Parts: sequence; structure tokens; C-alpha cells
Amino acid sequence: MRRSKRVPDVKQREFAEFYRSDQAACLRAVLVSVGDRQLAEDLVAEAFTRAWTSWHKVACHPAPRAWIVRTALNARVSWWRRQRREVAWDGTHEVEALAAGDTGLDPALLAALRRLPRRQREVIACRVFLDLDTGGTARVLGIAAGTVTAHLSRAVASLRAHLVNAEDLEARP
Amino acid sequence: MSDRETDASAVLDTLKDSLNHIGMHASAEQIMAAGRARRRRRLAGTAAAVVAGAAVVTGVTLGLIPPTGPATTNAAGGVHIRTVAYTVDSQNDGTVRVTWDKRRYFEDHQGLQGALRAAGFPVLIKVGEFCRGPRDAGTLSPSGVGPGVEKVMKGQRGSDANVTFVFSPAAMPDGKQLFIGYLSPAQLTAVGGNPGSVERLVPTGEPLTCTTEPPPAHLRSPGGPPKN
Repeated sequence: MRRSKRVPDVKQREFAEFYRSDQAACLRAVLVSVGDRQLAEDLVAEAFTRAWTSWHKVACHPAPRAWIVRTALNARVSWWRRQRREVAWDGTHEVEALAAGDTGLDPALLAALRRLPRRQREVIACRVFLDLDTGGTARVLGIAAGTVTAHLSRAVASLRAHLVNAEDLEARP
Repeated sequence: MSDRETDASAVLDTLKDSLNHIGMHASAEQIMAAGRARRRRRLAGTAAAVVAGAAVVTGVTLGLIPPTGPATTNAAGGVHIRTVAYTVDSQNDGTVRVTWDKRRYFEDHQGLQGALRAAGFPVLIKVGEFCRGPRDAGTLSPSGVGPGVEKVMKGQRGSDANVTFVFSPAAMPDGKQLFIGYLSPAQLTAVGGNPGSVERLVPTGEPLTCTTEPPPAHLRSPGGPPKN
């Protein structure tokens, strides 16, 4: 009896520790990918909930943070497909512009991220916020390593242009 | 490291630093509670389907419910479901008495939806989405209730966190169902906790228009009267 009580406690502690240490990185990665703070939080919460219900598998995963982000992004696709089948949307579910006060984010930076193609955002999410190398990013996203490098290079070029333009605007009288 | 690599690193560092303050609002305990509720919901959904099937079979066998007739039930074919999150009980007068725990209700909304439907009350429950019919002007009271809802759903708050509702399947207009949209935790935060949900009568068999935009915040004193 004592053993059956102890095992769930250990499981809960392991999951709670995983959540506390990795939730922020996962949220930032998903936020960069979807460009919407509230949607990102909902998707990451859904992914962690699935991780908890399958913790015996996720705990053994070689890259549990990547599992969370992949699951969150897959949940977004499933969610959109399901909504398309069930209801006619009025379009407001895809938030176009968030005020800085709502998210604590630089709206110009958020807009620059949103202008990037989805794959470029996902590569940034994996490389920058999950600290995955090129090979790990390629495995998580299911693309070639060379494609990862190309996407990252293009994304950096676009963001650099945005940052330079922003600095130029600030420097003007 | 080349100038180009240094430059790329600087751009990515700037991006990383700009999101340094971002973190989840939900706690690990809330996530685990949601996971546990999901397991219960799956079990409750199975139980509700079994109960509904048994109720229909019993009703048809005893001649109480015509095979194509309304889904109202009486004591002989009643539904009585109890979970940690809610209870659903058919009453002799044809109404359905429901209690749910305000702390848990949104975690098990699909189970509650299945139980209410099993009890003969047509309902559509969602979290974080708010739907209306194609001819609905979208009018809501400050507490998030649409026209006509008070005829099919009445509530009273108990001494604890539980709320008791009485649903009236017989009062539901033909071709209509009750839509209940619970605000997600993030939406609840945005409106300061009020309203906690939106209720409307919506048509069945027609596409609904849904949005994730929550209703306006409603300021009222804590512990005020429940809806209806």
C-alpha cells in the first residue's frame, strides 16, 4: 500500500519540476511560432496537460521540451481543423493586433515575427528558445538540416532589417 | 566567429531577451488537475452514454417514450449521474436538477454536456468560445445571458461554491438548444472574473458563428446572485 502511494507522489513531483523549469521556454517558443500570447498559453497548457496524462511516456522522451512544443503546434492545427468543420467562424479567433499592454511584448517585434513564414518562426522557436542544434531542430520539425540553416538565415535577415529600420526611426528627430 | 555569425547571434539574442519576462499563468497543480479531470471526463462520458442508452431502452420497453418522441424523461427512465465536478438528476416533473462545482466545472464541461443531453436537455458547452445563431443579434445581459434563457434554466447559489440549476427540457423552443460558453482562465482574468460564462439559445442543425472574444466585464459585488 505504501508503495502505491509513493509512486504517484514521485510522478507528481517529477512533472511539477519539469513544468516549473521548462514552461517558460516552451511558451516563448510557441509564442514565437503562433504570434498570439493567449493562444500560445492555451496551446502550451493543452500540451502540458497531455504530457501529464501520458507522463510515463513523456518522462522518458529524449527531448521533452521539444515534445511539448511539437504537441502544442499540432494541437493548433487540430483545433483549427475541428473549428472549420464544426462552425463558421467570424475570423476574430486569429487575433490580428495585440496591444503592448495586453501582452507585455513589443508590438513592432511581434508584427515582425508574424511577417515571417511559419517554418522560419518554428526554426527560431527551436534554435533560440529550446536551444536545439540544427540536427535536433530538423528532427523536431521533420525537415532537412540544410533547410533549417536556410530558414534561420532568412529569418535573421528579415528580423535584422526590422531592427535596423526601428533604430533608424528612433534616431530621427 | 565571422562578423555575419556575430550579427546573427546579436539579432537572436535581442529577440530572446525581449521575451525573457514571458511565462505561463497556470500552475503545475492546475495543469495536473486538468489532466485528472480529463480522465474523469472520459470515464463519465462512457458512463453517460451507457446510462442514456439504458434510459432510452427502458423508456421504449415500458412505452414511456415513443421511439421518435421528445427526449424528456420521467422517474422510470431518469438520469442520475454523480461525478466530482457535477451531479445531474432527472426530476418527476420533467426538469433536470444539476449542481456543479465552480472550481471544477470548466475542466469537465464535455462530461456535463453529455450528462445533460443524456437527461434530455439539448445543450452545447464550450470553453473559451462564444457562439450564436445566424439570426441572433448577439444581445446579452451584463451577466452574459441571452434572451429566453431564463425560461429553460434557473439557478441558485448554495452556501458553498456549488451552484444548483434547474433545466426545463419542455420549455426549450423547437429547434433550439442552450449554448453555454465558459470563459477560459485567461479570459476570466481579462474580465475580472465576471461574467464567468455566456448562455444563449441557439438553433440546432445550423452553422453557428463563434468567437473567442469574451463578453464585456461585469462589475458586481462578490457572492451576488447567480444567473437567472
